[in-house]
Amino acid sequence: MHPPSLQIMDISMPSDGPAAASLDASDTTLTPSPRVRRVRFYLTNEFGLVLLIIIFGAAFTFAVPRFLSHFNLFILGRTAAENIVIGFAMMVVVVTGGLDLSVGAIGVCAAMGGGWLMQVAGLPWPLAVIGGLLLGAALGFVNGWAVVRSGLHSFIITLASMSIFFGVMIFITRAQAFRSIPLSFASFAHIRYFGFISPLLLLAVVIMLALVYLYRLTALGREMLAAGARASAAELSGVRVKRVIILCHMLAGLLAGVAGLMLVARNDAAIPSMAGQLGQDWLLPAFLGPVLGGTLLSGGFVSPLGTLLGSFLLTLLTNGLLLLQIGQFWVEAVLGLLLLVAVLLDQARRSFIARRRMI
Amino acid sequence: MAEFLFEALGISKSFPGVMALQDVSLQMREASIHALLGENGAGKSTLIKIITGIHRPDAGELRLAGTPIELTSPRDAMAKRIGVVHQERNLIPRFSVGENIYLEQLAGRPLKPLRYPELYRQSRKWLDLLDLDVDPATPVSRLSVAKMQLVEIAKALALDSRVLLLDEPTASLTPHETVTLFKVLKRLRDDGVSMLFVSHKLEEVGELCDQVTVLRDGRNAAHSQPLQGLGRQDLVQLMIGRKEQIADWPARNFAAATPALALKGVSTILGHRDIDLTVKRGEILGLYGLVGAGRTELAKCIIGQFAVTEGSVEIQGKAVKIASVADAIHRHGIGYVSEDRKAEGLILMHSVLANAGITVWRNLGHHGLPLTDGRIRSRIEPFVRRLEVRTPSLAQLVGNLSGGNQQKISVAKWLAAGVKVLIVDEPSVGIDIKTKAYLHELLRELSDTGTAVLVITSDMPEMITLADRIAVMNDYRIEGTITNTRDYEEMSSRIMSLIHRVEAA
Repeated sequence: MHPPSLQIMDISMPSDGPAAASLDASDTTLTPSPRVRRVRFYLTNEFGLVLLIIIFGAAFTFAVPRFLSHFNLFILGRTAAENIVIGFAMMVVVVTGGLDLSVGAIGVCAAMGGGWLMQVAGLPWPLAVIGGLLLGAALGFVNGWAVVRSGLHSFIITLASMSIFFGVMIFITRAQAFRSIPLSFASFAHIRYFGFISPLLLLAVVIMLALVYLYRLTALGREMLAAGARASAAELSGVRVKRVIILCHMLAGLLAGVAGLMLVARNDAAIPSMAGQLGQDWLLPAFLGPVLGGTLLSGGFVSPLGTLLGSFLLTLLTNGLLLLQIGQFWVEAVLGLLLLVAVLLDQARRSFIARRRMI
Repeated sequence: MAEFLFEALGISKSFPGVMALQDVSLQMREASIHALLGENGAGKSTLIKIITGIHRPDAGELRLAGTPIELTSPRDAMAKRIGVVHQERNLIPRFSVGENIYLEQLAGRPLKPLRYPELYRQSRKWLDLLDLDVDPATPVSRLSVAKMQLVEIAKALALDSRVLLLDEPTASLTPHETVTLFKVLKRLRDDGVSMLFVSHKLEEVGELCDQVTVLRDGRNAAHSQPLQGLGRQDLVQLMIGRKEQIADWPARNFAAATPALALKGVSTILGHRDIDLTVKRGEILGLYGLVGAGRTELAKCIIGQFAVTEGSVEIQGKAVKIASVADAIHRHGIGYVSEDRKAEGLILMHSVLANAGITVWRNLGHHGLPLTDGRIRSRIEPFVRRLEVRTPSLAQLVGNLSGGNQQKISVAKWLAAGVKVLIVDEPSVGIDIKTKAYLHELLRELSDTGTAVLVITSDMPEMITLADRIAVMNDYRIEGTITNTRDYEEMSSRIMSLIHRVEAA
């Protein structure tokens, strides 16, 4: 009855003459014009971050030649790997429009659990690692379950669980570190490929690819984004929103566990204070990575590559500033400022894109 | 003294993708009640928002007592003594009745200490005027919906408004409360207040109003005419335009068809009692009722969002227990197009592809293959095309499309999911007349292919156009079911008599 014709409304920029002409009714692919795509690419967070990484990298190289030494690059990559995974742990909950203040506490708990399994229970390290990760996921489940059941914002729930998890962990371990970590496990943090690449950085990249796969190529990942963007609409479209939110928190716990175990490998020990009191040292990098990377704090949009680049940039800045022998407090101030500037820039970029309707 | 207390002249207003108002005028006299009529989406709400300073017109002029005025904010309008009772609730539930009534006035002086006895004494005055027996210190959240509505009116009165806009103030009132309200409004009129009264209930309009302005498709169909001499049918004609609005589709016979969805003696946790309802394969069943009759709520119980407490729900003849919305969709093939497109129907910040595809992800993902954009696209594109969605690409954000195109997408996703039962709640809210007619044809075609459709609408012409049978709901019960003859006069009077049967008794 209705011919399968698609009516195309040309709302691209007027100067788009030739490009827009390809968008007539015979076009069967329903894709944006190349010109719009190109402009959009230059406006992406990812492009901006790569640019900043190059600029700051060049500046630090110029100021401190030591910056490019193999040893420094190795340290930089290894620290970046930790920060990237910490950023991912926060990102997967930010997707739901929530946040997880307990990433640090969970990370340390998982690390201590893994350390206990290696040292006290004497399990081979791969099993101990799996145990530690399961503990992380289980604590994430507690968060997610409490959020869903109580209907409270995850801010409150994870603020409370941060203290509870950390407190219980200190009670159980009596604040003792596990220092007999098998060398075969700890070596992951010390091996250098080509003299400067840490396996941990490769692991972070693999995790990023897995997250890209999750969000782009699985029903579950797409449902996470839908539930985060508008839970009521997702629910009425057949998404089991509560289950999905719990899974997001479990994934956060799992990733926090990965980051915690990376720290164990680097320190050759599982130490209760390795992420600061209550794991709070992780909070700034946890938020900076996703926010710099363009993940929306209100949920529904995610960029694993952006988070990776954002976390890398923040590690690069920290590393470079420390090499310049600027006090640690200045580094903290710079990172705080960076967070604010990133949010403001992001707003400007977003409104520019919205005005031009380039999405 | 100017002849008109308030005038809106040649008002035009457009939103991205929609021309909401085009050269609309309206002139209100002192001491009179002016009816503003029009179908959903005709532009009434936009006009009210312009008069109360929420939107600014693209063209045209507002005049107060003959002097041109510019309203830049709702505060501005209040200062000029233009008050409004909006359709949506605008009360703060935790605040007391008195605090809510004086909220606007208190907000202007944030540091001035509140004198509660004084505040409550003054509130009392307005509540008495409305015959509302409520302690001003009661939190609003403890009131019934009807009482909240009256508090909203008290709030507008407390601003000492000269011009008072009432957007469907009776929608949630009982007949008794309505009578009381009308007495108050008439008294206000005699005191010189000029009122604009928006309502879908034409009987009320005839009883209460002096002049009428009718909007259709964003334009004046009637401009400040005296109401005297206009009958109900004249008003309907003005509102919906041509009489042939009601499509002359042949009647269909479903005697032999098998039921696709049947409710037998169903009670729900939301308060429905003893609901019997059957939609057969290929049939369009209309569910009519006034706002608050419990229709949307029934739909949400059917799709498993709220629990059915008694009775049985049968899908394709088999009794089923629907535990969740996901269950309803993926196991039983029931889809629901929400009346609240922006909040519940669509994810505005996501693309057309994500919105139309959300119902098929699970199914496509089952085979273990990566769920690529391409696979989703090939599944949904035929439907997006068939519905003639006007979008530059499938990657376009749904929030950037017009209301009509958004609605097409919220239907397309259910077509893609291949549901056997589709519940459509207020299908034409906020969409233009052309798209509306198109959607009607589409639903008819869909039912011709064997899908059972349950249409919920408060729009009588739409109901009579679409439905094969009409079930009338009132106060969470089914009052009766009638076969649609597509004779507007007859059907509307039979529907109304079913609704008012209880009240008359």
